[in-house]
Amino acid sequence: MAGIYLHIPYCESKCVYCDFYSVAEGEYRDEFVSVLTEEISCRAKEAPRDAVFRSVYFGGGTPSLLSPEEIRSILDTLRECFELDESAEVSMECNPGTVTAESLAGYRACGVNRLSFGVQSFFEDDLAFLSRIHSPEQAKESIEAARQAGFDNISLDLMFSLPGQTASRWSENLRQARELGVTHLSCYSLTVELGTPLASIVNRGEVCMPVQEEDAGLFETTMRTLGDWGFLHYEVSNFARPGFECRHNLVYWNHEPYLGFGPSAHSFTDGKRTWNVTSIDRYIGMVRTSGTARAGGERLTRDQLRTEHVYLGLRSKGIDLEEFRARFGSDLVEDNRERVRMYVERGLLAVEGNRLFVTPAGFLLCDEICAEIN
Amino acid sequence: MYMDNIRNFCIIAHIDHGKSTLADRMLETTGTITRREMQYNQVLDDMALEQERGITIKLHAIKMEYEAGDGKRYMLNLIDTPGHVDFSYEVSRSLNACEGAILVVDATQGVEAQTISNLYMAIDAGLEIIPVINKVDLASAMIDAVSHQIIDLIGCSEEDILKVSAKSGEGVDEVLQAVVEKIPPPSGDPDAPMRALIFDSVFDNYRGAVSYIRVFDGTLKENQKIRFFSTGKEFEVEEIGVLLMKRRRTGVLGAGEVGYLIPGAKDVRDTKVGDTVILVDNPAPEPLPGYKEVKPMVFSGLYPSVSEEFEELRDALQRLCLNDSAIQFVPETSVALGFGFRCGFLGLLHMEIVQERLEREFKQNIITTVPNVEYKVVLKSTGDVVLVDNPSEMPEPGEIDHVEEPYVRASIIVPSDYVGNVMKLCMDRRGEYKNTTYLDPTRADVHYELPLAEIIFDFYDKLKSITRGYGSLDYELLEYRESDLVKLDILLNGDKVDALSTIVHRSKAYWYGRKLCHKLRSLIPRQMFEIAIQAAIGNKVIARESIKALRKNVTAKCYGGDITRKRKLLEKQKEGKKRMKQVGSVEVPQEAFLAVLSVGE
Repeated sequence: MAGIYLHIPYCESKCVYCDFYSVAEGEYRDEFVSVLTEEISCRAKEAPRDAVFRSVYFGGGTPSLLSPEEIRSILDTLRECFELDESAEVSMECNPGTVTAESLAGYRACGVNRLSFGVQSFFEDDLAFLSRIHSPEQAKESIEAARQAGFDNISLDLMFSLPGQTASRWSENLRQARELGVTHLSCYSLTVELGTPLASIVNRGEVCMPVQEEDAGLFETTMRTLGDWGFLHYEVSNFARPGFECRHNLVYWNHEPYLGFGPSAHSFTDGKRTWNVTSIDRYIGMVRTSGTARAGGERLTRDQLRTEHVYLGLRSKGIDLEEFRARFGSDLVEDNRERVRMYVERGLLAVEGNRLFVTPAGFLLCDEICAEIN
Repeated sequence: MYMDNIRNFCIIAHIDHGKSTLADRMLETTGTITRREMQYNQVLDDMALEQERGITIKLHAIKMEYEAGDGKRYMLNLIDTPGHVDFSYEVSRSLNACEGAILVVDATQGVEAQTISNLYMAIDAGLEIIPVINKVDLASAMIDAVSHQIIDLIGCSEEDILKVSAKSGEGVDEVLQAVVEKIPPPSGDPDAPMRALIFDSVFDNYRGAVSYIRVFDGTLKENQKIRFFSTGKEFEVEEIGVLLMKRRRTGVLGAGEVGYLIPGAKDVRDTKVGDTVILVDNPAPEPLPGYKEVKPMVFSGLYPSVSEEFEELRDALQRLCLNDSAIQFVPETSVALGFGFRCGFLGLLHMEIVQERLEREFKQNIITTVPNVEYKVVLKSTGDVVLVDNPSEMPEPGEIDHVEEPYVRASIIVPSDYVGNVMKLCMDRRGEYKNTTYLDPTRADVHYELPLAEIIFDFYDKLKSITRGYGSLDYELLEYRESDLVKLDILLNGDKVDALSTIVHRSKAYWYGRKLCHKLRSLIPRQMFEIAIQAAIGNKVIARESIKALRKNVTAKCYGGDITRKRKLLEKQKEGKKRMKQVGSVEVPQEAFLAVLSVGE
């Protein structure tokens, strides 16, 4: 399986916590799509030989700021340049404040079949704190409209561990999401990223992030509640109804190849990871002159591949030990016998058949575990 | 006779009172060196570290030619001395190579503790003292007050005191003239069997040990067979000469002269400071007086921060020893830190210098355990005395009859306003008050007897802070005294951390144990299980703290672009873990091993 990622860098406003690359709509907005399709055409040869792409993901930024026509022209270019599977998953991130019944119908008509709404919370004051541009009502209306437009695979992003967030408020958010009948939920613990406005207000002491115990409690509530409702916990922050795991995510976490287009997008093919420039100016300029906008890259050593394989696996559905042996020529459990034994005893890791995976308790300490298993 | 034209002298001064600057001006005035040749401000301090710290660590010597007022040419040998209490033995040997000393006192600071102790050593060695007040051109100079301090100290008359600005060169010629007029020429018998005093030894990568010597009797020539009196080792003299800006070979040194000797020894430990060189063929029956085996006073464990680098650390220590015969080291093992060395140092400054040189010159990353003194433990069963320089080797309480610890006689000079503060500090450190004398109505010299262990860490810094930087300290070893000492152990989840064991006075054990546990709690990161920190004397736990188990540590997002970043973080985290030390199941960061040092804060 292989995937394609498209970074649409435009946002109406920047959210307080966000460290992704985004710009205001004015900048090169008119020519952006044509430059993006130019980059796609020029880099078509980078696709691994015989690769069939089963996932396309519009991320950002706010992809829903693009018109259905623009999305269509990008998808057309992709179909021309790559072997795109008929039943490919085509996901698009949506900001509830930016879609209408018409635009949703348009997206659906040109082939988008999965929507991911950045809802974050169903409480007005949370949304204000996060500087989101939509209201709780708009979120619900947008999701309803999406369903009307024919989308049956809808995901929501929600955030926990907001300053001052109580356990009951968080449970209420989960409950509302369930009520909306979504197939997929991404539940992120709010992380203070360097250089964001959130980081400055936290540093200035204007808001106080929840302590580790509270954060852990909310995460446990999430896992328990969504588990009870039949969602599969298939990655640290991701939950899905059976069969609705995001295929694009699986591409990342299974170390499958992906091509990324647009400013700041990353690609991974043939053991090599490359990334585009983050600046829209430079992106537009470079693609126009040379067809590509690469800023850097790295060829992963065997050890690095192994490290990534272990932590990507442990963060998601686990590691297939047979496959690991075939790929890296050694037995992961044997190589880490003492640690694995200790973690299994403490109920953090489990081995079933050929699969080594973290338990719900293990998810809480996933970074610690990954640092110890080599 | 040639000896009449020789003057051997040194300069006694407190740190920063201008000893090196004065020396530099003398070198310039005598034309030994031109201003242009002076690459650095101060020629005598040629080690990088010395330059930076502004203190002379190793002593050197230099020969100047000076045409005096009487029209005759004189050979002046300036022998430099280290300015710190750790090196007082080396100072005493340098003094013994001289007939006179210039006493330099900063006009803005007045007499300090070290000045006095070195001055007394010089007077004991029978040296003629030339008092000099330096920095007289500064606005804050207190020439009259400082003159009186000096007069009270050495009983000279006001006219004897020279007023100098080493910086501008004012008065330097008068100092040189005084050296010629007041300091007697060397005594010694040119016809007696040869005896020379080693007042310093350094290591030269190409030539091996190079000794700086003063010939007292007879004549020393190249190719003669010599013997070092204390070690009995014999060598054939490879080279002899005098010390100018560089070594200048002369092939011979006569009675009264100062110069260098290259005996072809590969190890500076064969050429010990204070030892007497004699001839194998015509041996002098008696050595020159005053030789002592230099004994380390302060001990600490040195460990590579990554255990695989043990051999590299050994190499580095061995090479360092070539230059510094005062370091002692033996391999030791610690459960917590792995393989390392127990090292002995002359004092705390010496220890810091060694650590810093290991890190800078030899690029070693090291963990140092808390310094301690050497204890005498008298056993109950046999009455035998065991020397303990590592707290973890302390016998079990039941086996001990009593423990003795080294005491020092300390002299602390402070403005009289701060005497109260000093007394409080010394009392906190188990000091025994002796008396106070006054250098003048505003400056007191407070005498205490203190356990050495109480002053080897942070005492000096504390003293400086409670006296606003005015206090100065000097001390000398007094004797071993019986004390009620106990070994305090630290346990992490029940496992003893040997590198954190310390020996403390029973009266302080509870306070100290509590503080240490508390400090460790803030230094050890939360881990996947709860950690109990305990302080114990024998089997008795006297303090405890706990570190709650880590509840959550997981990165929320990891998509396409995050993967590289996350991997790099992970690699860094793994690198960091490698530097952590494992105690049972607990990972301890390296800073924790020095926690003990900052417990008082």
